Amino acid sequence: MKFEREGRTGLLFLLPLLLTVLLFIAVPVAGTIYDSFFRDVTFLPQQFLGLENYRVLLVDHVFFQSLGFTLLFALASVPLEVVMGLLFALILNRPLPVRGLLRAAILVPWAIPAAVSGRVFELIYNFSYGLANYLVLAFGLSDQPVNWLGTSYGAFAALVFADAWRTTPFVAIILLAGLVVLPEDLYRQATIDGASSLQQFLRVTLPLLKPVLIVALLFRTIDALRIFDVIYVITAGGPGGSTNALSLYSYQYFLSGDFGYGATISVVLFAIALLLAILYVRVSGFGKEPT
Amino acid sequence: MILAGNSEIRSRLAVAAVAALGSVRGVMMRGVHWLPGLCLALLLIGCQEQSKAHLTFAVGGAPAELDVWEELLHQFTEQSGIAVEMQRQPTDSNQRRQGLLIPLKARQPDPDVFLMDVVWLAQFSASDWLRPLDESAAAHFFPRVLDLVDRHDGRLVALPVNVDAGLLYFRTDLLQRYGFSTPPATWEDLARQAKTVQQGERAKHPGFWGYVWQGAEYEGLICDYLEVAASNGGGLAEKGRLVLDRPGNRTALTLLSGFIHQASISPPNTYTQMKEEQVREIFQSGRALFERNWPYAWPLHQAEGSPVAGRTGIAPLPHAPGESSAATLGGWHVGISRYSDAPEQAQALVRFITSFAVQKQMALRLGWNPGRTDVYADPEVLAALPYLEQLRGIFAHAVARPVLPYYTQVSQVMQRHLNAALAGWVAPEQALKQAQAEIDALTVRYHPHQPGRLP
Repeated sequence: MKFEREGRTGLLFLLPLLLTVLLFIAVPVAGTIYDSFFRDVTFLPQQFLGLENYRVLLVDHVFFQSLGFTLLFALASVPLEVVMGLLFALILNRPLPVRGLLRAAILVPWAIPAAVSGRVFELIYNFSYGLANYLVLAFGLSDQPVNWLGTSYGAFAALVFADAWRTTPFVAIILLAGLVVLPEDLYRQATIDGASSLQQFLRVTLPLLKPVLIVALLFRTIDALRIFDVIYVITAGGPGGSTNALSLYSYQYFLSGDFGYGATISVVLFAIALLLAILYVRVSGFGKEPT
Repeated sequence: MILAGNSEIRSRLAVAAVAALGSVRGVMMRGVHWLPGLCLALLLIGCQEQSKAHLTFAVGGAPAELDVWEELLHQFTEQSGIAVEMQRQPTDSNQRRQGLLIPLKARQPDPDVFLMDVVWLAQFSASDWLRPLDESAAAHFFPRVLDLVDRHDGRLVALPVNVDAGLLYFRTDLLQRYGFSTPPATWEDLARQAKTVQQGERAKHPGFWGYVWQGAEYEGLICDYLEVAASNGGGLAEKGRLVLDRPGNRTALTLLSGFIHQASISPPNTYTQMKEEQVREIFQSGRALFERNWPYAWPLHQAEGSPVAGRTGIAPLPHAPGESSAATLGGWHVGISRYSDAPEQAQALVRFITSFAVQKQMALRLGWNPGRTDVYADPEVLAALPYLEQLRGIFAHAVARPVLPYYTQVSQVMQRHLNAALAGWVAPEQALKQAQAEIDALTVRYHPHQPGRLP
């Protein structure tokens, strides 16, 4: 009797959260999936299509080009961000004289809106007055200014770099939070046992940091798959459509009034992100009770 | 999208939610447990549209432009007694469109009146989002512009607030110094003059370019390309069909790509970064001989303190021998929402915005090229903007981008392939062939009854 009442009270406390999740996450997701089964074009009569949108998607080579770019972008940017983030976290965890200031300073790129930092990078890569070409010419690396965004590799690398600059602090801060709570005595014990710092890092730090590392990887991977703002500002999908990320591609359809096909692309993107999230959790054993 | 119904459904939903939460509250009886529920109910009520019929006008642009709009709306309220709420939109045209698309798709009564880019008109009217306007207003506007874009099924659904067309800007002093008496008439002339002057100027000015234009992967590329294509005997539509892969268009793409890669009179980043402002900045800082841009650049080039003030001329864009010059039509048009809850007042506002007095004010205060032709004859306007006389002739012959509800998709396809050709990744013939195949697929998808026919 008492338990039941407590359970009910507990449920009531949870209710606002559940309702919020339902209203703001489940409903839009379900709505998008529902919409992907329709011809939902503002200037054509609405019509149920079943899986027709998905059939069209399967033969849409622009979609596959976008998908390829998006996956490659995640594959290149996430490891870079996690490795750099870990490095920064390890440095910031050491007793440095101005540690508080440094910890705050490293957050600055993350605090800048992506559209703004994207604009800054666009200026850095600018052919005629950008910082990158200034440095290249000043150090004599080339006698001609470089058109950084002019090749598909160049544009790709430029975008990965811009994204890594902005999101590495996010990874660093999450990992730092994990590092701070690691028990000091484990390291003392390891030192007594004669473990080198590299061994301590590989055998003590990394395994204990794994749950936090997985969270960082998960967040970054999902974010990288949804990448929009940085690309929208720097290359807008160009040159020649080589950096047309999936979110950009679906946005083009929404903007032109084809909500059905735009939703279809979004659903596929959502499915890929969900699949990867499940994979991370499964492979890492994260979420299980520690043994 | 599911929730986006009309306001009546929404208000019923809110009432139902409040009732449901009320009963929850009854069960809980005491304490502050009802707080979250109340918050949610308030949130839902907040979502409800105000049912009071008032006028909302959505407009975006630079802050200075919006300030002028605000003032004009004050004038309107004083004259008519109709209150107008101004919905400020961003400058970015994609975001402005998105801000209209969502309420219109949800059949919201606001905004009642809004501005549309010329290339959205076909989508908006085919979606049946625009209310027909009073035909008597049509007499004072460019007839060609109205016929091209503002009529749908023979009915007037929008009116041009300002019109734009592509122009060639040139440095009068440099042409003279290198012995060219007139701006180029043909594209060959342009390439030759650009090369000569660029070679000469490079000696003391290493970053000098012959010709700067918009080549990045965005809508501006289509505008520039259409001008070169149409002035080479090509174009985007032929006999009511979208025909991209044709001789004049191949010549045009080869020509533009050659400006970057062979003649090297246009900078290598033309296809990555060159948009209106980048191009204007290069010309205005004195680092280019020729510039393709919209009329907005003229007052800025001639402004006090501009390095090219007094040394800039405008001319129609060049053409191939035996063909005529072409300028892409741009500009913003005003229309009334199908779902407006104050259509009478909305018509009054449109009459006001398209009136001689207001169009004149816009020309004088914003340097906008009026949609009304009679403003071009006003002595006061001509004294302030002497170039308008010349522009008027160019506007009268402007070419429109395809007037199609799915133009955005067509444009995206063209942008990708044209830009790849400008990058030198694919041959112009190949790029146009591929674009044509993708466009044919689009016409089947979006125009299922008569695939390939323009509506």
